[in-house]
Amino acid sequence: MRTFSENIKIAFQSLFLNKLRSVLTMLGIIIGVGAVVAVMSIGAGAQDSVIKSIQGIGSNLVIIMPGDSQRDMGPMNQFSSSGKESLKLQDIEAIQKYAKHIEGVMPLILSAAPVVYMNKGSNVSIYATSESAVSVYNFEIDTGKFFSKSDVGNSANVAVLGKTIREKLFGTDDPVGKSIKIMGKNFKVIGTIKSKGTNTFGQDQDNTIAIPITTAMNKLYGQNYLNLIMAKTGTEKEMAIASEEITRILKKQHGIKADEKNDFSIQSQTEILNTLSAVTNIFTIAISSIAAISLLVGGIGIMNIMLVSVTERTREIGIRKAIGAKNKDILTQFLTESVVLSLTGGLMGIVFAYIISILLNKYSPISTSISISSILLAISFSTFVGLFFGIYPAMSAAKLNPIEALRHE
Amino acid sequence: MTDKIIIKIENLAKTYKIGDFKVRALRGVDLQINEGEFVAVMGPSGSGKSTLMNMIGCLDIPDSGKYFIESIDVSKLNDNQLAEIRNKKVGFVFQTFNLLARLSTFQNVELPTIYTRIKIKNKNKRIHEYIESVGLKNKEKNKPSELSGGERQRVAIARALINNPTIILADEPTGNLDSRTGEEIMAIFQKLNREGKTIILVTHELEIALHTNKIIYLRDGLIIKEEIIENPSSAEEILLKMPNLEDRISAAN
Repeated sequence: MRTFSENIKIAFQSLFLNKLRSVLTMLGIIIGVGAVVAVMSIGAGAQDSVIKSIQGIGSNLVIIMPGDSQRDMGPMNQFSSSGKESLKLQDIEAIQKYAKHIEGVMPLILSAAPVVYMNKGSNVSIYATSESAVSVYNFEIDTGKFFSKSDVGNSANVAVLGKTIREKLFGTDDPVGKSIKIMGKNFKVIGTIKSKGTNTFGQDQDNTIAIPITTAMNKLYGQNYLNLIMAKTGTEKEMAIASEEITRILKKQHGIKADEKNDFSIQSQTEILNTLSAVTNIFTIAISSIAAISLLVGGIGIMNIMLVSVTERTREIGIRKAIGAKNKDILTQFLTESVVLSLTGGLMGIVFAYIISILLNKYSPISTSISISSILLAISFSTFVGLFFGIYPAMSAAKLNPIEALRHE
Repeated sequence: MTDKIIIKIENLAKTYKIGDFKVRALRGVDLQINEGEFVAVMGPSGSGKSTLMNMIGCLDIPDSGKYFIESIDVSKLNDNQLAEIRNKKVGFVFQTFNLLARLSTFQNVELPTIYTRIKIKNKNKRIHEYIESVGLKNKEKNKPSELSGGERQRVAIARALINNPTIILADEPTGNLDSRTGEEIMAIFQKLNREGKTIILVTHELEIALHTNKIIYLRDGLIIKEEIIENPSSAEEILLKMPNLEDRISAAN
């Protein structure tokens, strides 16, 4: 009985016999597997950065957003402007006063605005918040200081710069003490914060300026509502209790009865993470499936070439059968060939995807991560394609009548 | 030749369908071949000799009648069992050699052993021995395209012998060879027969058939005559008398 390794050796001999043909046949598989693995690695990379960036904000966070939680999803909501004005500064005071299971709470209004220093200008993200941001949002001071409670109380025109905007406007100089213009109004720089890196949404978190929430509300935007409230708990276990507490407090603040719908939604960081994770997952699966179509095409290519191969080698099959090869020997021989073909293409596709993801990681903001499971998936898919699309040609080879096959050209 | 019956055929019939036509290739053939015989099968085209060879070689099964090879009833066997018999009991030698072009001499001779279920001891040694016995010791690594017609047929013979089969079936083995090379091949067959091998040969050339012990004449699917050859031609003697190619060319000039 021909051993497994002999079959493999014969299969490779056939492959090498006509290298161009083999490569062209494998091309569909290479592209299919390469695309699927590359997309999966981008998805996995996105998943990783979702986790990293949200954990970078600060763990054990509870996030309160205005509006009905059913329709809204995640921090993206803060950019919509459909009258979601239910969160007020007084809510912050109430939470600070009555919630027992939180370590800190901060308000947030997030928007973009132009900032100017001397003759240099840029657009930045403005984080309008309170002094609690240092502990709740993990803003780490580099030089100078963050604004204080009294700054917030006085609606002081003070600003704290992120690394990117600081370098852009001031180069290597320390901006503390200098004056910049935000939306045309003068602000004194009182501090700079350490680098936070790029978050999931491609936003450079260092291209930001933090200003007191009151200054933003009263002097810049003229709005009396908040986009977001963030509260930090001591431990993860307390997050459920803290959520309940905050819900009760806010309901009372907003005058909502027990059975009425809330005009805010409250989510833990974990929940947001899971949602974003799930979304990324769905995108990855959707795009991978589309890429998998080229796997299908590749498989058809293999079946086509195997059929041609069987016809070309009809005489050979007749000789082998005359000498004693059984139907299943012929079947195994040709099936091995198609699996070797597709598996080789699959491995080349994995290498191709690997190169792409390294290049993406190095030269683009897209982060990628190839996992063992995606490689195993690609390998098993390639094998399956080889088996599935190779079985029909292999069977027609096995069924050949030796006498007729021997007469063949 | 011994008394042991190797092949017993009783009233063998086989009909083929070609399109709408039915061709009765064999109409009731009776035949018996003993161990050590050297038999030639002759007949015009359409006589059924190819079909008879296919039956004897277990490439196909009869429609009616019986065929016993070493007492095994072939008509009752399935495809897999037929393949096993072909592998172990039959050695084929074809007119067009039918070697695998991508394999070397060694690999071609080795081929039947790959399909044998039982492990063969000292397989490689045996392959080398058979290749040497047909005089191709220096050509083990060559591919068929690098060999002459006569050499290719020798490879085919070594391949046919490798599993120590009960019978050698040769279908016009000298058909594609010149007369000198043909005699060389017949010399090999005669040597094998002297060593006890049972050989059945199909040919349309009487000269070749006269090298055997018995000629069976087929016509229209039936055996019409069996002729014992008292003094078969000796290929070796013919070769000695045959001028070389070089001599023939110089004689022509």
